[in-house]
Amino acid sequence: MITNRLSRWTPLFFLLALVNFVGAQALVLAGVTWPATSLGAAGTLIAIHLLVIGWLLLLVLGALFQFVPVITTLPLGSQAAALVCLVAVEGGLLGMLAGFLGVAGVAPRLAWLLPAGGGVVTTGISIAIWNLGVPLARARPRSLPGRMVTTGLAFLVATVTLGLLFGSVLAAPAAMPGLAPILGGVGEHALAGLGGWFTLTAMGVSYKLLPMFMLAPEDRGALGRWVHVVGATGFTLAVLAGLAAIWLPIAVIVDLRRAGDLAIGLAVALYLWDVRRIYRDRKRVSIELHNGVAIGAFAFLGVAVALAAIAAAVHRLDAVAPSLVFLIVFGWLGGLGIAQLYKIVPFLAWLVRYGGRLGRGPVPRVQDLVRDGAALPWFIAYQVGVSCAAIAAVMHRPVAFRIAMTPVAIATIGLAVEYWRAWHATYAGTAPNAPPAAAAGPVTKHPSLLINRGDRP
Amino acid sequence: MNGLVAPDADAITDALRDVIDPELGYNIVDLGLIYALAIEDGRVALTMTMTTPGCPAQDYLLAGVEDRIRQLPGVVDLQVEVVWEPPWTPQRMSPLAKAQFGIPD
Repeated sequence: MITNRLSRWTPLFFLLALVNFVGAQALVLAGVTWPATSLGAAGTLIAIHLLVIGWLLLLVLGALFQFVPVITTLPLGSQAAALVCLVAVEGGLLGMLAGFLGVAGVAPRLAWLLPAGGGVVTTGISIAIWNLGVPLARARPRSLPGRMVTTGLAFLVATVTLGLLFGSVLAAPAAMPGLAPILGGVGEHALAGLGGWFTLTAMGVSYKLLPMFMLAPEDRGALGRWVHVVGATGFTLAVLAGLAAIWLPIAVIVDLRRAGDLAIGLAVALYLWDVRRIYRDRKRVSIELHNGVAIGAFAFLGVAVALAAIAAAVHRLDAVAPSLVFLIVFGWLGGLGIAQLYKIVPFLAWLVRYGGRLGRGPVPRVQDLVRDGAALPWFIAYQVGVSCAAIAAVMHRPVAFRIAMTPVAIATIGLAVEYWRAWHATYAGTAPNAPPAAAAGPVTKHPSLLINRGDRP
Repeated sequence: MNGLVAPDADAITDALRDVIDPELGYNIVDLGLIYALAIEDGRVALTMTMTTPGCPAQDYLLAGVEDRIRQLPGVVDLQVEVVWEPPWTPQRMSPLAKAQFGIPD
Protein backbone atom coordinates (compact mmCIF):
# COMPACT_ATOMS: atom_id res chain seq x y z
CA MET A 1 0.00 0.00 0.00
CA ILE A 2 1.31 3.40 -0.90
CA THR A 3 0.83 5.97 1.79
CA ASN A 4 2.14 9.47 1.79
CA ARG A 5 2.21 11.10 5.16
CA LEU A 6 4.08 14.21 6.03
CA SER A 7 6.26 14.04 9.08
CA ARG A 8 4.57 16.74 11.11
CA TRP A 9 7.45 17.24 13.56
CA THR A 10 10.30 17.29 11.04
CA PRO A 11 10.41 21.11 10.73
CA LEU A 12 10.80 21.36 14.52
CA PHE A 13 13.64 18.82 14.39
CA PHE A 14 15.35 21.03 11.81
CA LEU A 15 14.82 24.21 13.82
CA LEU A 16 16.31 22.76 17.01
CA ALA A 17 19.14 21.16 15.03
CA LEU A 18 20.10 24.53 13.57
CA VAL A 19 19.92 26.21 16.97
CA ASN A 20 22.27 23.57 18.37
CA PHE A 21 24.59 23.92 15.36
CA VAL A 22 24.86 27.67 15.85
CA GLY A 23 25.39 27.12 19.58
CA ALA A 24 28.29 24.75 18.96
CA GLN A 25 29.87 27.18 16.53
CA ALA A 26 29.52 29.97 19.08
CA LEU A 27 31.58 27.87 21.50
CA VAL A 28 34.25 27.47 18.83
CA LEU A 29 34.30 31.20 18.08
CA ALA A 30 34.49 31.98 21.79
CA GLY A 31 37.64 29.90 21.99
CA VAL A 32 36.07 27.34 24.31
CA THR A 33 37.14 24.53 22.02
CA TRP A 34 38.77 23.73 18.75
CA PRO A 35 39.71 20.44 17.08
CA ALA A 36 43.04 19.96 18.86
CA THR A 37 41.68 20.65 22.36
CA SER A 38 41.82 17.71 24.77
CA LEU A 39 38.84 15.43 24.28
CA GLY A 40 38.31 15.33 28.01
CA ALA A 41 37.88 19.11 28.33
CA ALA A 42 34.35 20.11 29.25
CA GLY A 43 34.12 22.68 26.45
CA THR A 44 35.17 20.10 23.88
CA LEU A 45 32.72 17.50 25.17
CA ILE A 46 29.90 20.04 25.17
CA ALA A 47 30.71 21.26 21.65
CA ILE A 48 31.09 17.74 20.24
CA HIS A 49 27.80 16.54 21.69
CA LEU A 50 26.01 19.70 20.59
CA LEU A 51 27.27 18.91 17.11
CA VAL A 52 26.68 15.17 16.89
CA ILE A 53 23.51 14.88 18.98
CA GLY A 54 22.08 18.39 18.85
CA TRP A 55 22.84 19.09 15.21
CA LEU A 56 23.51 15.93 13.23
CA LEU A 57 21.30 13.47 15.11
CA LEU A 58 18.26 15.77 15.14
CA LEU A 59 18.87 16.72 11.51
CA VAL A 60 19.16 13.11 10.33
CA LEU A 61 16.28 11.81 12.45
CA GLY A 62 14.05 14.67 11.27
CA ALA A 63 14.97 13.86 7.67
CA LEU A 64 14.49 10.10 8.18
CA PHE A 65 11.03 10.60 9.71
CA GLN A 66 10.12 12.32 6.45
CA PHE A 67 12.00 10.17 3.96
CA VAL A 68 11.85 6.61 5.32
CA PRO A 69 8.15 6.58 4.35
CA VAL A 70 9.26 7.76 0.90
CA ILE A 71 11.92 5.05 0.69
CA THR A 72 9.66 2.28 1.95
CA THR A 73 6.27 3.64 0.75
CA LEU A 74 5.01 2.75 4.24
CA PRO A 75 4.04 5.02 7.16
CA LEU A 76 6.07 5.51 10.32
CA GLY A 77 5.18 3.53 13.41
CA SER A 78 3.74 6.69 14.95
CA GLN A 79 3.77 10.43 14.31
CA ALA A 80 3.44 11.17 18.02
CA ALA A 81 6.50 9.04 18.78
CA ALA A 82 8.58 11.44 16.72
CA LEU A 83 7.67 14.27 19.11
CA VAL A 84 8.50 12.16 22.16
CA CYS A 85 11.83 11.33 20.51
CA LEU A 86 12.52 15.01 19.88
CA VAL A 87 11.76 16.06 23.45
CA ALA A 88 13.82 13.19 24.89
CA VAL A 89 16.86 13.79 22.68
CA GLU A 90 16.96 17.55 23.18
CA GLY A 91 16.11 17.35 26.89
CA GLY A 92 18.57 14.55 27.50
CA LEU A 93 21.23 16.43 25.59
CA LEU A 94 20.83 19.47 27.85
CA GLY A 95 21.26 17.15 30.83
CA MET A 96 24.39 15.67 29.32
CA LEU A 97 25.87 19.12 28.69
CA ALA A 98 25.32 20.02 32.34
CA GLY A 99 26.77 16.65 33.30
CA PHE A 100 29.97 17.39 31.37
CA LEU A 101 30.40 20.53 33.47
CA GLY A 102 30.02 18.34 36.53
CA VAL A 103 32.52 15.72 35.40
CA ALA A 104 35.03 18.46 34.53
CA GLY A 105 34.78 19.88 38.05
CA VAL A 106 33.14 23.14 36.97
CA ALA A 107 29.92 22.13 38.74
CA PRO A 108 30.60 18.77 40.47
CA ARG A 109 27.07 18.40 41.78
CA LEU A 110 25.79 18.12 38.20
CA ALA A 111 27.91 15.06 37.31
CA TRP A 112 24.94 12.73 37.78
CA LEU A 113 23.20 14.47 34.89
CA LEU A 114 25.67 12.93 32.44
CA PRO A 115 24.47 9.31 32.70
CA ALA A 116 20.92 10.48 33.43
CA GLY A 117 20.85 12.73 30.37
CA GLY A 118 22.50 10.00 28.33
CA GLY A 119 19.74 7.65 29.45
CA VAL A 120 17.06 10.08 28.33
CA VAL A 121 18.79 10.59 24.96
CA THR A 122 18.99 6.81 24.65
CA THR A 123 15.27 6.55 25.31
CA GLY A 124 14.60 9.08 22.56
CA ILE A 125 16.87 7.23 20.16
CA SER A 126 15.23 3.90 21.01
CA ILE A 127 11.85 5.40 20.18
CA ALA A 128 13.25 6.70 16.90
CA ILE A 129 14.68 3.31 16.01
CA TRP A 130 11.33 1.64 16.67
CA ASN A 131 9.46 4.34 14.76
CA LEU A 132 11.72 4.01 11.73
CA GLY A 133 12.13 0.26 12.13
CA VAL A 134 8.41 -0.40 11.63
CA PRO A 135 8.31 0.65 7.94
CA LEU A 136 11.87 -0.53 7.28
CA ALA A 137 11.07 -4.03 8.56
CA ARG A 138 7.80 -4.28 6.63
CA ALA A 139 9.07 -2.95 3.32
CA ARG A 140 9.16 -5.45 0.46
CA PRO A 141 11.26 -5.50 -1.58
CA ARG A 142 13.93 -3.90 0.55
CA SER A 143 15.49 -1.14 -1.51
CA LEU A 144 19.18 -0.25 -1.33
CA PRO A 145 18.47 3.05 0.50
CA GLY A 146 16.28 1.17 2.99
CA ARG A 147 18.96 -1.46 3.63
CA MET A 148 21.62 1.22 4.12
CA VAL A 149 19.46 3.18 6.57
CA THR A 150 18.78 -0.06 8.47
CA THR A 151 22.52 -0.72 8.70
CA GLY A 152 23.00 2.85 9.84
CA LEU A 153 20.45 2.35 12.62
CA ALA A 154 22.34 -0.75 13.80
CA PHE A 155 25.46 1.38 14.10
CA LEU A 156 23.43 3.98 15.97
CA VAL A 157 22.66 1.30 18.56
CA ALA A 158 26.38 0.47 18.81
CA THR A 159 27.30 4.14 19.11
CA VAL A 160 24.78 4.78 21.87
CA THR A 161 25.88 1.67 23.75
CA LEU A 162 29.49 2.81 23.69
CA GLY A 163 28.46 6.34 24.65
CA LEU A 164 26.53 5.06 27.67
CA LEU A 165 29.57 3.05 28.77
CA PHE A 166 31.79 6.12 28.44
CA GLY A 167 29.33 8.24 30.38
CA SER A 168 29.06 5.71 33.18
CA VAL A 169 32.82 5.27 33.47
CA LEU A 170 33.42 9.02 33.39
CA ALA A 171 30.76 9.72 36.01
CA ALA A 172 31.83 6.95 38.41
CA PRO A 173 35.28 5.65 37.48
CA ALA A 174 35.74 3.81 40.77
CA ALA A 175 32.55 1.82 40.34
CA MET A 176 33.73 0.03 37.18
CA PRO A 177 37.54 -0.20 37.24
CA GLY A 178 37.55 -3.13 34.83
CA LEU A 179 35.78 -1.07 32.21
CA ALA A 180 38.02 1.99 32.51
CA PRO A 181 40.15 1.06 29.45
CA ILE A 182 37.04 1.47 27.28
CA LEU A 183 37.76 5.20 27.40
CA GLY A 184 40.59 4.42 25.00
CA GLY A 185 37.93 3.53 22.43
CA VAL A 186 36.83 7.09 21.71
CA GLY A 187 38.06 6.69 18.14
CA GLU A 188 35.89 3.62 17.64
CA HIS A 189 32.93 5.46 19.19
CA ALA A 190 33.43 8.28 16.68
CA LEU A 191 33.90 5.80 13.83
CA ALA A 192 30.68 3.97 14.69
CA GLY A 193 28.76 7.24 15.00
CA LEU A 194 30.17 9.41 12.23
CA GLY A 195 30.88 6.51 9.92
CA GLY A 196 28.57 3.55 10.46
CA TRP A 197 25.58 5.59 11.52
CA PHE A 198 25.69 9.04 9.92
CA THR A 199 27.72 8.31 6.79
CA LEU A 200 26.03 5.05 5.77
CA THR A 201 22.63 6.62 6.46
CA ALA A 202 23.50 9.75 4.48
CA MET A 203 24.72 7.56 1.63
CA GLY A 204 21.49 5.55 1.69
CA VAL A 205 19.22 8.59 1.72
CA SER A 206 21.29 10.25 -1.00
CA TYR A 207 20.76 7.16 -3.17
CA LYS A 208 17.04 8.00 -3.10
CA LEU A 209 17.09 11.79 -3.14
CA LEU A 210 19.83 12.52 -5.68
CA PRO A 211 18.26 10.46 -8.50
CA MET A 212 14.78 11.64 -7.51
CA PHE A 213 15.64 15.33 -7.75
CA MET A 214 17.98 15.06 -10.75
CA LEU A 215 15.84 12.57 -12.72
CA ALA A 216 18.62 10.00 -12.80
CA PRO A 217 18.25 6.20 -12.70
CA GLU A 218 17.44 5.09 -9.13
CA ASP A 219 18.71 1.52 -9.57
CA ARG A 220 22.38 1.66 -8.55
CA GLY A 221 23.05 -1.91 -9.61
CA ALA A 222 26.00 -3.90 -8.32
CA LEU A 223 28.07 -0.82 -7.52
CA GLY A 224 25.52 0.44 -5.02
CA ARG A 225 25.30 -2.99 -3.39
CA TRP A 226 29.09 -3.09 -3.07
CA VAL A 227 29.12 0.33 -1.43
CA HIS A 228 26.71 -1.00 1.18
CA VAL A 229 28.37 -4.36 1.81
CA VAL A 230 31.97 -3.11 1.80
CA GLY A 231 31.09 -0.07 3.89
CA ALA A 232 29.13 -2.03 6.49
CA THR A 233 31.85 -4.66 6.69
CA GLY A 234 34.57 -2.06 6.97
CA PHE A 235 32.95 -0.09 9.77
CA THR A 236 32.06 -3.29 11.64
CA LEU A 237 35.61 -4.63 11.42
CA ALA A 238 37.21 -1.33 12.33
CA VAL A 239 34.98 -0.74 15.37
CA LEU A 240 35.06 -4.29 16.76
CA ALA A 241 38.76 -4.89 16.13
CA GLY A 242 39.63 -1.44 17.42
CA LEU A 243 37.79 -2.10 20.68
CA ALA A 244 39.25 -5.58 21.01
CA ALA A 245 42.75 -4.19 20.52
CA ILE A 246 42.33 -2.09 23.68
CA TRP A 247 42.46 -5.26 25.79
CA LEU A 248 44.24 -7.57 23.35
CA PRO A 249 46.63 -5.62 21.11
CA ILE A 250 47.92 -8.63 19.20
CA ALA A 251 48.98 -8.48 15.56
CA VAL A 252 45.99 -10.26 14.06
CA ILE A 253 43.52 -7.89 15.71
CA VAL A 254 45.52 -4.84 14.69
CA ASP A 255 45.58 -6.20 11.13
CA LEU A 256 41.81 -6.69 11.22
CA ARG A 257 41.44 -3.07 12.26
CA ARG A 258 43.58 -2.01 9.30
CA ALA A 259 41.54 -4.21 6.98
CA GLY A 260 38.43 -2.46 8.23
CA ASP A 261 39.98 0.95 7.55
CA LEU A 262 40.89 -0.14 4.03
CA ALA A 263 37.37 -1.39 3.39
CA ILE A 264 35.95 1.94 4.59
CA GLY A 265 38.23 3.81 2.19
CA LEU A 266 37.21 1.51 -0.65
CA ALA A 267 33.50 1.91 0.12
CA VAL A 268 33.80 5.71 0.13
CA ALA A 269 35.71 5.63 -3.17
CA LEU A 270 33.04 3.41 -4.75
CA TYR A 271 30.29 5.65 -3.39
CA LEU A 272 31.86 8.83 -4.73
CA TRP A 273 32.31 7.14 -8.10
CA ASP A 274 28.65 6.14 -8.07
CA VAL A 275 27.56 9.66 -7.10
CA ARG A 276 29.54 10.91 -10.07
CA ARG A 277 27.52 8.49 -12.24
CA ILE A 278 24.26 9.88 -10.83
CA TYR A 279 25.26 13.42 -11.73
CA ARG A 280 26.52 12.32 -15.14
CA ASP A 281 23.42 10.26 -15.99
CA ARG A 282 20.88 12.83 -14.80
CA LYS A 283 18.13 13.82 -17.21
CA ARG A 284 17.58 17.20 -15.62
CA VAL A 285 20.27 19.24 -17.32
CA SER A 286 20.47 22.17 -14.91
CA ILE A 287 21.65 21.19 -11.45
CA GLU A 288 19.60 22.80 -8.69
CA LEU A 289 21.53 24.77 -6.11
CA HIS A 290 21.18 22.20 -3.31
CA ASN A 291 22.63 19.45 -5.48
CA GLY A 292 25.35 21.76 -6.79
CA VAL A 293 26.38 22.65 -3.26
CA ALA A 294 26.25 18.97 -2.29
CA ILE A 295 29.18 18.37 -4.66
CA GLY A 296 31.30 20.31 -2.17
CA ALA A 297 30.18 17.98 0.62
CA PHE A 298 31.13 14.93 -1.46
CA ALA A 299 34.51 16.55 -2.10
CA PHE A 300 35.02 17.03 1.66
CA LEU A 301 34.28 13.33 2.18
CA GLY A 302 36.86 12.41 -0.44
CA VAL A 303 39.44 14.79 1.03
CA ALA A 304 38.86 13.40 4.53
CA VAL A 305 39.42 9.82 3.41
CA ALA A 306 42.48 10.81 1.36
CA LEU A 307 43.90 12.71 4.33
CA ALA A 308 43.29 9.72 6.58
CA ALA A 309 45.07 7.42 4.14
CA ILE A 310 48.07 9.71 3.84
CA ALA A 311 48.26 10.25 7.60
CA ALA A 312 48.04 6.51 8.24
CA ALA A 313 50.81 5.88 5.72
CA VAL A 314 53.17 8.26 7.56
CA HIS A 315 51.97 7.14 11.02
CA ARG A 316 50.40 10.52 11.80
CA LEU A 317 46.77 9.43 12.04
CA ASP A 318 46.41 10.36 15.70
CA ALA A 319 47.76 13.84 15.00
CA VAL A 320 45.23 14.59 12.25
CA ALA A 321 42.29 12.73 13.79
CA PRO A 322 40.68 15.92 15.20
CA SER A 323 40.97 17.57 11.78
CA LEU A 324 39.39 14.51 10.18
CA VAL A 325 36.48 14.66 12.59
CA PHE A 326 36.08 18.35 11.76
CA LEU A 327 36.09 17.65 8.02
CA ILE A 328 33.50 14.90 8.40
CA VAL A 329 31.22 16.84 10.77
CA PHE A 330 31.35 20.25 9.09
CA GLY A 331 32.41 19.45 5.54
CA TRP A 332 30.75 16.16 4.66
CA LEU A 333 27.75 15.62 6.96
CA GLY A 334 27.15 19.27 7.85
CA GLY A 335 27.75 20.41 4.27
CA LEU A 336 25.36 17.81 2.87
CA GLY A 337 22.83 18.65 5.58
CA ILE A 338 22.67 22.40 4.96
CA ALA A 339 22.55 21.76 1.22
CA GLN A 340 19.63 19.34 1.41
CA LEU A 341 17.73 21.55 3.88
CA TYR A 342 17.65 24.11 1.09
CA LYS A 343 15.43 21.68 -0.83
CA ILE A 344 13.59 19.88 1.95
CA VAL A 345 12.39 22.97 3.83
CA PRO A 346 10.71 24.67 0.83
CA PHE A 347 9.29 21.31 -0.25
CA LEU A 348 7.65 20.80 3.14
CA ALA A 349 6.58 24.44 3.18
CA TRP A 350 4.97 24.04 -0.23
CA LEU A 351 3.04 20.96 0.87
CA VAL A 352 1.79 22.71 4.00
CA ARG A 353 0.92 26.04 2.38
CA TYR A 354 -0.11 25.18 -1.15
CA GLY A 355 -0.78 21.43 -1.27
CA GLY A 356 -4.41 21.97 -0.38
CA ARG A 357 -4.85 24.50 -3.20
CA LEU A 358 -3.60 22.23 -5.94
CA GLY A 359 -6.31 21.93 -8.57
CA ARG A 360 -8.30 24.78 -7.01
CA GLY A 361 -6.25 27.71 -8.23
CA PRO A 362 -2.79 28.90 -9.19
CA VAL A 363 0.08 27.84 -6.98
CA PRO A 364 3.82 28.55 -7.07
CA ARG A 365 6.48 25.93 -7.61
CA VAL A 366 8.74 24.66 -4.83
CA GLN A 367 11.67 26.52 -6.37
CA ASP A 368 9.70 29.76 -6.15
CA LEU A 369 9.96 29.59 -2.36
CA VAL A 370 13.74 30.06 -2.41
CA ARG A 371 16.05 32.62 -3.96
CA ASP A 372 19.30 31.09 -5.14
CA GLY A 373 21.01 34.46 -5.44
CA ALA A 374 20.49 35.09 -1.73
CA ALA A 375 21.63 31.64 -0.59
CA LEU A 376 24.61 31.07 -2.89
CA PRO A 377 26.97 33.52 -1.12
CA TRP A 378 26.22 31.81 2.20
CA PHE A 379 26.98 28.39 0.77
CA ILE A 380 30.24 29.68 -0.70
CA ALA A 381 31.21 31.32 2.60
CA TYR A 382 30.42 28.11 4.46
CA GLN A 383 32.48 25.87 2.22
CA VAL A 384 35.42 28.26 1.87
CA GLY A 385 35.42 28.78 5.64
CA VAL A 386 35.34 25.04 6.35
CA SER A 387 38.18 24.49 3.85
CA CYS A 388 40.36 27.16 5.49
CA ALA A 389 39.48 25.97 8.99
CA ALA A 390 40.42 22.39 8.07
CA ILE A 391 43.80 23.56 6.79
CA ALA A 392 44.32 25.59 9.97
CA ALA A 393 43.39 22.55 12.08
CA VAL A 394 45.86 20.31 10.24
CA MET A 395 48.57 22.94 10.72
CA HIS A 396 47.66 23.38 14.40
CA ARG A 397 46.85 27.06 14.11
CA PRO A 398 44.01 27.73 16.61
CA VAL A 399 43.74 31.46 15.94
CA ALA A 400 43.58 30.94 12.17
CA PHE A 401 41.01 28.21 12.80
CA ARG A 402 38.75 30.56 14.72
CA ILE A 403 39.12 33.27 12.08
CA ALA A 404 38.18 30.76 9.37
CA MET A 405 35.20 29.59 11.39
CA THR A 406 33.75 33.11 11.57
CA PRO A 407 32.32 33.05 8.01
CA VAL A 408 31.10 29.50 8.65
CA ALA A 409 29.04 30.65 11.61
CA ILE A 410 27.75 33.73 9.80
CA ALA A 411 26.87 31.62 6.75
CA THR A 412 25.03 29.10 8.92
CA ILE A 413 22.90 31.88 10.37
CA GLY A 414 22.41 33.37 6.90
CA LEU A 415 21.22 30.02 5.56
CA ALA A 416 18.95 29.53 8.55
CA VAL A 417 17.33 32.85 7.65
CA GLU A 418 16.86 31.62 4.07
CA TYR A 419 15.23 28.41 5.35
CA TRP A 420 12.97 30.56 7.53
CA ARG A 421 12.02 32.68 4.53
CA ALA A 422 11.30 29.55 2.53
CA TRP A 423 9.11 28.19 5.32
CA HIS A 424 7.18 31.45 5.39
CA ALA A 425 7.04 31.67 1.57
CA THR A 426 8.58 35.12 1.65
CA TYR A 427 9.79 34.81 -1.93
CA ALA A 428 6.60 33.29 -3.39
CA GLY A 429 5.50 35.22 -6.43
CA THR A 430 8.68 37.28 -6.61
CA ALA A 431 10.96 34.77 -8.35
CA PRO A 432 12.04 35.99 -11.81
CA ASN A 433 11.11 32.69 -13.47
CA ALA A 434 7.91 32.15 -11.58
CA PRO A 435 4.86 31.76 -13.79
CA PRO A 436 2.12 34.38 -13.37
CA ALA A 437 0.10 31.85 -11.42
CA ALA A 438 2.75 31.94 -8.73
CA ALA A 439 1.47 35.28 -7.54
CA ALA A 440 -1.17 33.48 -5.55
CA GLY A 441 -0.93 34.19 -1.86
CA PRO A 442 -0.36 31.52 0.74
CA VAL A 443 -3.28 29.81 2.36
CA THR A 444 -1.78 29.93 5.83
CA LYS A 445 -0.17 33.20 6.79
CA HIS A 446 1.70 31.99 9.85
CA PRO A 447 1.85 28.20 9.99
CA SER A 448 3.30 26.69 13.07
CA LEU A 449 6.45 24.61 12.80
CA LEU A 450 4.44 21.45 12.89
CA ILE A 451 2.37 20.35 9.98
CA ASN A 452 -1.34 20.63 10.54
CA ARG A 453 -2.82 17.26 9.69
CA GLY A 454 -6.18 18.89 9.57
CA ASP A 455 -5.26 20.38 6.23
CA ARG A 456 -6.61 18.76 3.14
CA PRO A 457 -6.18 16.00 2.10
CA MET B 1 -26.51 12.79 -16.45
CA ASN B 2 -26.97 16.16 -14.80
CA GLY B 3 -28.20 17.82 -17.97
CA LEU B 4 -24.86 19.38 -18.79
CA VAL B 5 -22.70 18.33 -21.72
CA ALA B 6 -19.94 16.05 -20.48
CA PRO B 7 -16.40 17.28 -21.13
CA ASP B 8 -14.35 15.48 -23.73
CA ALA B 9 -10.80 14.19 -23.30
CA ASP B 10 -9.28 17.40 -24.59
CA ALA B 11 -11.20 19.50 -22.09
CA ILE B 12 -10.12 17.27 -19.20
CA THR B 13 -6.52 17.20 -20.38
CA ASP B 14 -6.48 20.97 -20.68
CA ALA B 15 -7.91 21.31 -17.18
CA LEU B 16 -5.29 18.96 -15.75
CA ARG B 17 -2.58 21.24 -17.11
CA ASP B 18 -3.52 23.50 -14.19
CA VAL B 19 -2.20 20.82 -11.81
CA ILE B 20 1.57 20.89 -11.36
CA ASP B 21 4.08 18.55 -9.85
CA PRO B 22 5.39 20.98 -7.23
CA GLU B 23 8.97 19.73 -7.24
CA LEU B 24 9.45 19.73 -10.98
CA GLY B 25 7.26 22.79 -11.31
CA TYR B 26 5.54 21.56 -14.43
CA ASN B 27 2.04 20.38 -15.25
CA ILE B 28 1.29 16.70 -14.80
CA VAL B 29 -0.05 16.24 -18.33
CA ASP B 30 3.13 17.31 -20.10
CA LEU B 31 5.21 15.45 -17.52
CA GLY B 32 3.49 12.27 -18.77
CA LEU B 33 1.93 11.33 -15.44
CA ILE B 34 -1.51 10.70 -17.01
CA TYR B 35 -1.50 7.17 -18.40
CA ALA B 36 -5.12 6.71 -19.50
CA LEU B 37 -8.36 8.64 -19.63
CA ALA B 38 -11.81 7.25 -20.38
CA ILE B 39 -15.10 9.20 -20.45
CA GLU B 40 -18.56 7.79 -20.80
CA ASP B 41 -21.73 9.75 -20.11
CA GLY B 42 -19.94 12.12 -17.79
CA ARG B 43 -18.23 9.31 -15.89
CA VAL B 44 -14.48 9.85 -15.93
CA ALA B 45 -11.90 7.12 -15.26
CA LEU B 46 -8.33 8.32 -15.01
CA THR B 47 -5.17 6.26 -14.61
CA MET B 48 -2.07 8.12 -13.52
CA THR B 49 1.27 7.67 -11.81
CA MET B 50 3.76 9.71 -9.80
CA THR B 51 7.36 10.55 -10.58
CA THR B 52 8.46 8.23 -7.78
CA PRO B 53 6.69 5.78 -5.43
CA GLY B 54 6.22 7.21 -1.98
CA CYS B 55 6.23 10.80 -3.27
CA PRO B 56 5.26 13.01 -0.30
CA ALA B 57 3.05 15.11 -2.58
CA GLN B 58 1.00 12.15 -3.79
CA ASP B 59 -2.08 12.78 -1.67
CA TYR B 60 -2.12 16.43 -2.67
CA LEU B 61 -1.67 15.63 -6.34
CA LEU B 62 -4.53 13.14 -6.25
CA ALA B 63 -6.79 15.61 -4.47
CA GLY B 64 -5.75 18.33 -6.91
CA VAL B 65 -6.59 16.16 -9.91
CA GLU B 66 -9.97 15.24 -8.46
CA ASP B 67 -10.81 18.83 -7.57
CA ARG B 68 -9.83 20.14 -10.99
CA ILE B 69 -11.84 17.54 -12.90
CA ARG B 70 -14.91 17.89 -10.68
CA GLN B 71 -14.91 21.61 -11.44
CA LEU B 72 -15.73 20.78 -15.06
CA PRO B 73 -19.44 20.93 -15.88
CA GLY B 74 -20.96 17.62 -16.87
CA VAL B 75 -18.73 15.37 -14.76
CA VAL B 76 -21.02 13.06 -12.78
CA ASP B 77 -18.50 10.55 -11.49
CA LEU B 78 -14.75 10.30 -11.21
CA GLN B 79 -12.45 7.36 -10.54
CA VAL B 80 -8.72 8.00 -10.24
CA GLU B 81 -6.33 5.08 -10.07
CA VAL B 82 -2.63 5.41 -9.31
CA VAL B 83 -0.43 2.77 -10.89
CA TRP B 84 3.29 2.06 -10.73
CA GLU B 85 3.61 -0.08 -13.83
CA PRO B 86 4.98 0.94 -16.15
CA PRO B 87 7.18 3.16 -13.98
CA TRP B 88 7.38 6.79 -14.94
CA THR B 89 10.55 7.96 -16.64
CA PRO B 90 11.48 11.39 -18.00
CA GLN B 91 11.09 9.95 -21.50
CA ARG B 92 7.34 10.10 -20.95
CA MET B 93 7.43 13.89 -20.96
CA SER B 94 5.98 15.84 -23.86
CA PRO B 95 8.49 17.50 -26.22
CA LEU B 96 7.63 20.81 -24.57
CA ALA B 97 8.44 19.51 -21.09
CA LYS B 98 11.58 17.79 -22.30
CA ALA B 99 12.76 21.05 -23.76
CA GLN B 100 12.09 22.78 -20.44
CA PHE B 101 14.35 20.31 -18.60
CA GLY B 102 16.91 20.00 -21.38
CA ILE B 103 16.09 16.37 -22.08
CA PRO B 104 16.80 15.22 -25.65
CA ASP B 105 13.64 14.14 -27.48
